[in-house]
Amino acid sequence: MLRIVLMVYVFLAGQVMANELPIGYVKSVTGEASITTGEQKIKAEVGSPIHQGSVLQTGKKSSMGVTFKDETVISFGADTLFTVDEYLYSPAQGKLKFSSKLAKGSLNYVSGVIEKLKPDAVSVGTPSGIIGVRGTQFLLKVEE
Amino acid sequence: MKTLLPHRNAIALSYCAFLLLVLLLGGCAPKSYVVLIPSPDGSVGEVVVIGQKGEQVLTKAGQAGALDGSALQVEDKQIKQDFGDTMAALPKIPVRFLLYFKTGTTLTAESESLIPKIVADAQTRPAVDISVIGHTDTLYTDPYNNQLALKRATKVSELLTQKGLKANSITIESHGKRNLLVPTPDNTWEPRNRRVEVSIR
Repeated sequence: MLRIVLMVYVFLAGQVMANELPIGYVKSVTGEASITTGEQKIKAEVGSPIHQGSVLQTGKKSSMGVTFKDETVISFGADTLFTVDEYLYSPAQGKLKFSSKLAKGSLNYVSGVIEKLKPDAVSVGTPSGIIGVRGTQFLLKVEE
Repeated sequence: MKTLLPHRNAIALSYCAFLLLVLLLGGCAPKSYVVLIPSPDGSVGEVVVIGQKGEQVLTKAGQAGALDGSALQVEDKQIKQDFGDTMAALPKIPVRFLLYFKTGTTLTAESESLIPKIVADAQTRPAVDISVIGHTDTLYTDPYNNQLALKRATKVSELLTQKGLKANSITIESHGKRNLLVPTPDNTWEPRNRRVEVSIR
């Protein structure tokens, strides 16, 4: 019985961590920008948290800049739709992954520690191809 | 009348040619692409594009690629036009400080003198968020080192707060002896592994 209780506790703890610990924060916003996590959509402001699964969106003549826990830095231009699909940053456990998707718009990407520790773990998907990131800064634009 | 007609036609023709040229030039501006640029530290990494038309590896600053995996040339002017606002929104690049310990939770004098500098840097960043991560060398057991690394990180966090640090978020972590800066066998005394990393974002 005790074992079952403990397992439930561990499971819940895992859930809480996955849902509640931010993986990054908004550092700059101009114009209109939002962050949607699950069912919840918030207006993006300096200091707004980003979670695994968050969808980041900017409007016309707008931009947003964010930093992630592993020191990845990304900014977005106007009319952008970007999704954080998977973000794992536990160097002590060797859990490292950052996969995302740019459906439309533009970004400026500066890779962080995840890429340094595990070069094949960082990618950005687009509607027509996948970008593999190997320790660098790049610009990406997707126009429908 | 007869002499005017060809003249008019010529004007119309050249106008059409001009329009076609504009259309062609406009059509040349790529819609979707990726460009490699130098990293903030000046180095140039690599980007791999994998699409329907194959795989392309970008290795030079300014090199562009279409998203279907094919090669592409993009003018600097076009890149500035497409990404000027995006680049202007890039936040300040995070910085990482390493603080070392004599023994236990006592910082070396050199590392202690870094504390005010860390606070000063943090205050230049909007909604600054900070990770304070404690580490040990490989002497003694895992549980002992997990505790010690946590005590070190907590100590550094307290010192930063005492010096006036105000952050949007501070997380304190312990990696014990699982994340060595200098790889060593178990039970090895190594001052460079007795450290706290402070990541300022």
